[in-house]
Amino acid sequence: MTVLNFCKKNLVLTIGSIMLCFLLFMTFFGEYLPFIDGELQEIDYLWDENKIPVAPPYEPSAQFPLGTDRDGRDMLSLIVMGAKETLLIILSITLIRYLLAIPLAYFAHRQWLGANALLNGLNGFLSYVPTIIVVILLVTIPPLIMSAFRPYFVVLIIAAMEIGRVADMIKLEFHQISKKEFVTSGNSLGVSPFRLFKKYYLPFIYSKLLISIVGDLGKVMFLLGQLGFLGVFVAQVFVQVDAGVFTFENTSNSWPTFLSNAFKDIRGPVWIVFYPALAMTYVIFTFNMLGHGLQKIFR
Amino acid sequence: MAWDFIKSLLVFLIIIFAFVLLLLLPREMDITHHGGLVFTADFPFTFDLYKEKIAAFVEHFRMEKGFGNNSMGVPILEEVQKLLLRDFTIIVPALLLSMGAGTLLGIVQFYFRDKIIGKVQAFFSWIFSSIPDFFLFIALQYLLIKLFYIGVPKFSLYGNDHWYNFLIPMIAITVFPMVHMVKFTSAALENEMGQDYLRTARSKGLTTLNILKHMIWNCLYSILNQTQFVMLYLLTSLPIMQKLASFQGAGYHLLTSIQEFDEPRALAFMLPYLLMMFATIVLSKLLKYKLLPQKAGALQ
Repeated sequence: MTVLNFCKKNLVLTIGSIMLCFLLFMTFFGEYLPFIDGELQEIDYLWDENKIPVAPPYEPSAQFPLGTDRDGRDMLSLIVMGAKETLLIILSITLIRYLLAIPLAYFAHRQWLGANALLNGLNGFLSYVPTIIVVILLVTIPPLIMSAFRPYFVVLIIAAMEIGRVADMIKLEFHQISKKEFVTSGNSLGVSPFRLFKKYYLPFIYSKLLISIVGDLGKVMFLLGQLGFLGVFVAQVFVQVDAGVFTFENTSNSWPTFLSNAFKDIRGPVWIVFYPALAMTYVIFTFNMLGHGLQKIFR
Repeated sequence: MAWDFIKSLLVFLIIIFAFVLLLLLPREMDITHHGGLVFTADFPFTFDLYKEKIAAFVEHFRMEKGFGNNSMGVPILEEVQKLLLRDFTIIVPALLLSMGAGTLLGIVQFYFRDKIIGKVQAFFSWIFSSIPDFFLFIALQYLLIKLFYIGVPKFSLYGNDHWYNFLIPMIAITVFPMVHMVKFTSAALENEMGQDYLRTARSKGLTTLNILKHMIWNCLYSILNQTQFVMLYLLTSLPIMQKLASFQGAGYHLLTSIQEFDEPRALAFMLPYLLMMFATIVLSKLLKYKLLPQKAGALQ
């Protein structure tokens, strides 16, 4: 009964958790479901009722519930198969962001090594120049493009975009905690700065960190979607497509890659962009609900 | 105030400088022909090349005495002017709607917070804040195309040939910042609850509406602080929305010129955006200075 009562009291959190469970189930076990084509088979053409071969993409129908892409691959299967990579990318971006932001915030709070000036500069720049433009300018830097570690760099760059905002938020929390009496007592005991950070500051922001990390997962998904429209993805390889013509081709099934042709698809086979965008909206929704629900619990 | 303005101006100039340095990083592809069908591509990246590019960039401005012409031979400044006017048809209504209507709706939501209307409104503003603008745009397009099939009169969905073409991108782009302002305003007003001056006002017999007026006045400082966020959001989403809608505005050409390594043109399109941000910051500072009683921030 207590569980039921808890669910009733925290309806948003419950719905969010159910949505998350569904998302995780589809991510990890979706490929074994009967209606999912784990091989992502391509179709060259299908016969219509007049015995005329029709090339893909095909509209949503009984055979393809969400239609197919331009290679004749089932959209539903593509989305399910791409979920793992998409979620991994947004999770790693968010975690890296917080792992870097927390020390930066502490350094800025203690005013060490000019961290405060760095933080202010970063925030000042990024509150002027739109994020996506900075990302485009940074991910096209040659040493990054040609590097074998390109995906990691791209993740790092996207993570770095909002480090300033996150660190600023955590810094304010640190400022508030530093006025409490137990910190003063710790200081008078001669506790080392590192121990002060670990035992006096951090435990008090765990709940707030959790809420804001969950909320940020949704924000990262949104940013990745925007970058997808501009053809900036995490996984890309450099290939020669014609004599002397080189281009980037994406090598993954992560959701933002389906948006790269949105410009053309939106005028014809709109389902190719609609359903991946819907899946992203679902993810953003789920994490926003969870964040909202957690906020209510920890308040 | 004057010192504040000079400080903002300095920051603005530093940001332009930093942006140009970032823009000029060498990123062009260098294709070598080795005879026959053998080609290799390389991305040279050395400090000398960087210096060369900066020198060429400065030289370009010296030679052309300005931004010069684009690849079609049209002066870039003329092009920017024309396209920027198109951008304004989206940005100005979007900004006014988000800041004005957003704040008003926030006040309404706060006023009716215990009634069913307020709860329904809070629910919807929460839902809409979770929908990304690009999905909203695609969904709108999908819906309209389906409606055209069943006989709704057709109208142009893409391009910028008709006067109403700005409407769909404008709606898609406005929803998030507007809902953000609704949520922010109502949260800021709720934070005011329990302040002593409210008890005093009530004990003097002021009506609820009159008290609300005092509260809004007190929240205005933090509400105006959000202008920069709203403007940045609009300028971030605008190029993408223009690309999706084939709405040929400055944002669309900013993206293409960056992707085509046309640096002077990219800067020409970026400068108005940075100027808009600067104007937003200075204007909201000015408004705060003129409208609000000094030290009003002490309460926040």
